[in-house]
Amino acid sequence: MIAAALLQEGHGAPAHGAEGEGPDLGGTLMHHIVDAHEIEGPLGAVWHLPEWEPFHLGPLAVNLSPTKHVVFLLLAAVICGLVFMLVGRTARRRKVHEAPSGFANAIEALVLYFRDEVVRKNIGEGADKYTSYILTLFFFILTMNLLGLVPWGASATGNISVTAVLAIATFLVVEVSGFRALGPAGYARTIFFVPAGIPGWMKPVMLLVMIPVEVVSKLTKPFALAVRLFANMTAGHTLIFSLLGLIFIFAQLTFARWAVAGASVTATTLMMVLELFVAFLQAYIFAMLSAVFIGLIRHAH
Amino acid sequence: MPDPASGPVPEPVGSTFGGTTMRALPVAAVAAAISAFPASLLAQEGPGLFDINTGLSLWALIVFLILLLLLAKFAWGPILNALETREQNIQGSIDDATRLRKEASDALDEHRLQLREARHEAQHIIAEAKEAAAGLGREMEAKARQESAAIVQRARREIEVERDAVLEAIRKETVGLALAAASRLVRQRLDAREDRELVNDYLSSLSDTAEGRDA
Repeated sequence: MIAAALLQEGHGAPAHGAEGEGPDLGGTLMHHIVDAHEIEGPLGAVWHLPEWEPFHLGPLAVNLSPTKHVVFLLLAAVICGLVFMLVGRTARRRKVHEAPSGFANAIEALVLYFRDEVVRKNIGEGADKYTSYILTLFFFILTMNLLGLVPWGASATGNISVTAVLAIATFLVVEVSGFRALGPAGYARTIFFVPAGIPGWMKPVMLLVMIPVEVVSKLTKPFALAVRLFANMTAGHTLIFSLLGLIFIFAQLTFARWAVAGASVTATTLMMVLELFVAFLQAYIFAMLSAVFIGLIRHAH
Repeated sequence: MPDPASGPVPEPVGSTFGGTTMRALPVAAVAAAISAFPASLLAQEGPGLFDINTGLSLWALIVFLILLLLLAKFAWGPILNALETREQNIQGSIDDATRLRKEASDALDEHRLQLREARHEAQHIIAEAKEAAAGLGREMEAKARQESAAIVQRARREIEVERDAVLEAIRKETVGLALAAASRLVRQRLDAREDRELVNDYLSSLSDTAEGRDA
C-alpha cells in the first residue's frame, strides 16, 4: 500500500521540479515528511484542505489553516479522547467488586504502571497530581506516532512545531511545580546557585558562571525532548521511504530490480516493526523524562 | 544517485541556519552527514524540515490542553479512582484475612490450652478418687482387723471364764466324790475334819500341777 502511494507520488513528483529521468525521490520524501495543505488517500485521491488568512499576534504570524499535520493531530486527539473516555466510563460504571476485563483492563494495567513506576517513583511526594499530565502526554504522543505508520497517515510528532509545543508544556509544568514545591527563595536558588563554602569575594564570580549554566540546563531539557521526538519520528519515516525508494532507483535494471524490490520490501517490513517499537519507546521516553524533570526540580538542592 | 543536483551543498544549509563562522563547523559536519540525502531535501523552495508553523503549534497547544482536561476529568480520574478503590478493597480483604486467621489461631490455642487443663484436671480427679478409695479400703481393713481381734479377745476371755467355772465345778465335784469315796473306804478310821484337810491339800497340789501344765 505504501509502495502504491509511493508510486503515485513518484508520478506526481516531477511537478516539484526534479531534473533528469528518474523519479525525484528527494522531493517525494520531503513531500511525504513535511506538512502540506493536502491529504493523500487510496488510489491517488488527494483532498485539498482550505487555506485561511493568517492573523498576527504581535510580530508573530499565525496561520490556523488546517494542514496534514493539523488533521492528524486532531484525529489523534479524537481517537485518544474517545478511547480513553470510554475506558473511563467503564471504570466508573463497574462496581468495585467486579473483576476488570478486556481492553479496559489492559489500559488500567498501563495506567497503573505509569502511576507506580513512572510518576510516583520519579516525582515522589505529591506525585499523584501529575499522573493525568504524564498519562495524557504518553497516550497522545503514542497515538500521533502510530498514525504515522498507518497507510496514507502522517505523524504530527514528526513536525517540530508540535513536539516543541509539547516540550514547552513540560517545561512550564516543571518550572511551575518547582516553584510551588520549593517556594520563591528555593526556586530562585535553582537559577542563582552558589555552592556552600565559597568565600564571599568569589560569590559574584560563581554567580556569573553558574547563572548561564543553570539557565541553559533548564532550557536544554525541553529542547532535547522536542528534538528527540521529532528526529526519531522523521528518521523512521525517512528510513522506510529510502528503503522503498531503492526500488525506483533500480527500476531500470532488468533482473536485479526484482531482487532489489524483494530485499527492499523485506527490509521495509522489518523497519516498520522497529518503527512500531520506536513509536511506543519515544512516547514512553517523553512521558518518562517529563516525570523525571518534575521530580528533579522538586528535589533540587 | 541519479539526481544530478546531489553533491556537496553546504551553502543552502548554512543559509538555512543563518550561518556564521562560529557555526560553520557543526553545520559542515551536518552537511557532510546528510550529503548522502537527495539534494532537494535541503532545497530552499517549498516547506522545510525545520520550519516552525505557528498555526500548527497553536493547534497543538489548544488540542493538547483540551485533551488533557477532558481525559483528566473523564478518563484518568475514574480509572485512577477505580484502581485506588480496588487497591484499598484488596488491602482491606488481606487485612481482614490476616486478622481472622490470627483470631482463629488464637482461639485454637485457647482451646488447646483448655483441653490440656481439662485433661489435667480429669487425671487429678481420678488420682484423688483412687487415693480416696485406697484410703477407705485400708481404713475398712484396719477396722475389720481390729474388730476381729476384739471378737477373738472377747471369745478367749469368755472361754477362760467358762474354763475357770468348769474347773471350779469339777474341783468341787471331785472333792465331794473323793470325800464320798474316802468316807466309804475309811469311814470309821479317820477324823472328819483332819481328813478333809489332807484331801484338800492333796487336791490343791493336783490343781497346781494341772495349772502348771495348762500354762
